[in-house]
Amino acid sequence: MSQLRKDPIVGRWTIIATERARRPAAFVDPLSTTTDQKHCPYCQDIASPGVYESQGVKVINSSSPILDESKPFELRGHGLYDVCHSYGVHEIVLETPTHTANMADLPPEQINAVMQTYALRMQTHRKNPFVEYILAYKNYGVAAGSRNIGHARSQIMTVPVLPMRVLDKISGSKKYFDYHERCLFCDMVTQELKSMERVVTQNEDFVVITPFASRFPFETWILPKGHHCDFVEGIKGHEDSLAAIMKDLLLRFKMGLNDPAYNYMIQTSPVKKASSYKDDYHWHIEVMPRLTRVAGFERGTGFYICPIPPEMSASFLREVEIHA
Amino acid sequence: MPELRRDPVVGRWVIIDSDHTKGPLDFSKDDNTPTHQSICPFCPGREHQTPHEVDAVRPLKSLPDTPGWLVRTVPNKFPVLISDGSLQKEGIGIYDQMSGIGAHEVLIEGPEHEKNLTELTKEEMLAVINQYQNRFRYLSKDSRFKYVMIFKNFGFSAGATLEHTHSQIIALPMVPKTVLEELKGAEHYHQFRGRCVFCDMISQEYQDKERIIAENTSFLAFCPYAPRYAFETWIIPKGHSADFAQMDTATQVHLAQILQDMLRKIKQVLGNPSYNYYLHTAPVGYDHTACYHWHIEIIPKLTRSVGFEWGTGLHIVPTFPQDAARFLRES
Repeated sequence: MSQLRKDPIVGRWTIIATERARRPAAFVDPLSTTTDQKHCPYCQDIASPGVYESQGVKVINSSSPILDESKPFELRGHGLYDVCHSYGVHEIVLETPTHTANMADLPPEQINAVMQTYALRMQTHRKNPFVEYILAYKNYGVAAGSRNIGHARSQIMTVPVLPMRVLDKISGSKKYFDYHERCLFCDMVTQELKSMERVVTQNEDFVVITPFASRFPFETWILPKGHHCDFVEGIKGHEDSLAAIMKDLLLRFKMGLNDPAYNYMIQTSPVKKASSYKDDYHWHIEVMPRLTRVAGFERGTGFYICPIPPEMSASFLREVEIHA
Repeated sequence: MPELRRDPVVGRWVIIDSDHTKGPLDFSKDDNTPTHQSICPFCPGREHQTPHEVDAVRPLKSLPDTPGWLVRTVPNKFPVLISDGSLQKEGIGIYDQMSGIGAHEVLIEGPEHEKNLTELTKEEMLAVINQYQNRFRYLSKDSRFKYVMIFKNFGFSAGATLEHTHSQIIALPMVPKTVLEELKGAEHYHQFRGRCVFCDMISQEYQDKERIIAENTSFLAFCPYAPRYAFETWIIPKGHSADFAQMDTATQVHLAQILQDMLRKIKQVLGNPSYNYYLHTAPVGYDHTACYHWHIEIIPKLTRSVGFEWGTGLHIVPTFPQDAARFLRES
């Protein structure tokens, strides 16, 4: 019998198909990303000046930005509709000077430098009074929305509005806190560490789980064990263990699922009114291999069908032998 | 200049990426040319390969599970939800869980393997719409179900696994999130203004004109102001109506006509792309009928969603809706 499970943060239901569950091996991605070093534009960008550079990590402005900071921010109405020009920055973080495709293959120190770069860029962008949210994220592989170029990189975008999914998460955790006077994510960490069935790996500062109401096979979240709403402040003193757990997880994907396309997104509190999120929000990273297609049902309902129970995903990833 | 636009119903912002706008031929697409499959379980003569039919249109009164049908509905052989049993709810610490009770049916839209919806005759298309409503009404009677979702996946990247033209119906024991968000937004608007937000949207679309694709006596087809996807198209009843089940026979003819017309336009302009469509209507037993307005959303599958969209819910759309509407209108 399949199950319906509710995400405790945003209230989204997922169907966990146990009846027709596919074996984890059925998802192994047969197509790995191709590498073409000769034509890699990012290897050339390494030589040209960027907006920030340190420890082998370089930040450049996107050559095809979808956001633009050059015009002042202005919100307008058009009858029923609201509109503004797409104000913000769009930066590319080149994670390594060498032509390496997957972050999983970078040394932990380099991953550490990438995470610190995210934090520093976020700190800079926060000073802009029009910025409401900053997202640091990665698209790896064609199925994850990346163009077919084999140079490890991620992206940072700032937007002048609060995006819907962020609002969902914030209002969900606020509701929980108002009622229980505890952080929902802290409770989640406690419960997951007690049951262990959805824990993939952990170290002293972080735990990786497959969420109870996973939307996708092998969806994983990196949760800080300590409470902090904000990525920039929250990683201070924990950079090494974050880099270690990130590498650990990405290697499990690479080895266990045959180098699949994946996305990760750093979920941190909004820029403004930071103090109001202090107690109830808890920063984390969502990491998702892209192994299935989203069909009409998911699009129409916001209701996902996960073809494998997260407990099975977790146990599969737990057992992957990683040798760096 | 790229724009951020807000959907007036659910409040979702989207980015229209005007600096890299894409026209209809700038997307990479699936090859959706039909191949005749000799093993297709939906073809006439293989009725025994599906579970027993629950409904069908049989003009010559042939027997169930035999050839001679125009439209045929069968339970999904691999259902994601199962209709036997009672609904059990359970809490596990901070988590909530329910047994997977529901219904999952496949509606085979025609007997001919190579024909898709755009190639059906008027009568055949009407039979599909009629069957949608029959199944919808039937499943709505089950007190365990709170929502009945009718949808179609066409082509590989839209999630279709079988080529033979078909739609799916899933009855759910709860109202799904996307619909809840629309209901909440529409109720909020109605509380504040005393009008239906969708009716207001229709009048503004008539004023602006540029996003309208087509209309007939009962329906308007347009590209929404703040779409999530390139060439996203909505079909909406011009008159206020919350519930798809209430549609009368004359209106069914108009829906069949405009839906087929839109699918033909999308096929022609975008080169037979994969697509999804789904019906949004009021949940079973919903009584704020003044607030909500049923409609169909058609989404050609042209782009991949990237990490940014997953992380924020902020969609990046490479085609302005007024441009998409113009291409579709002029085809």
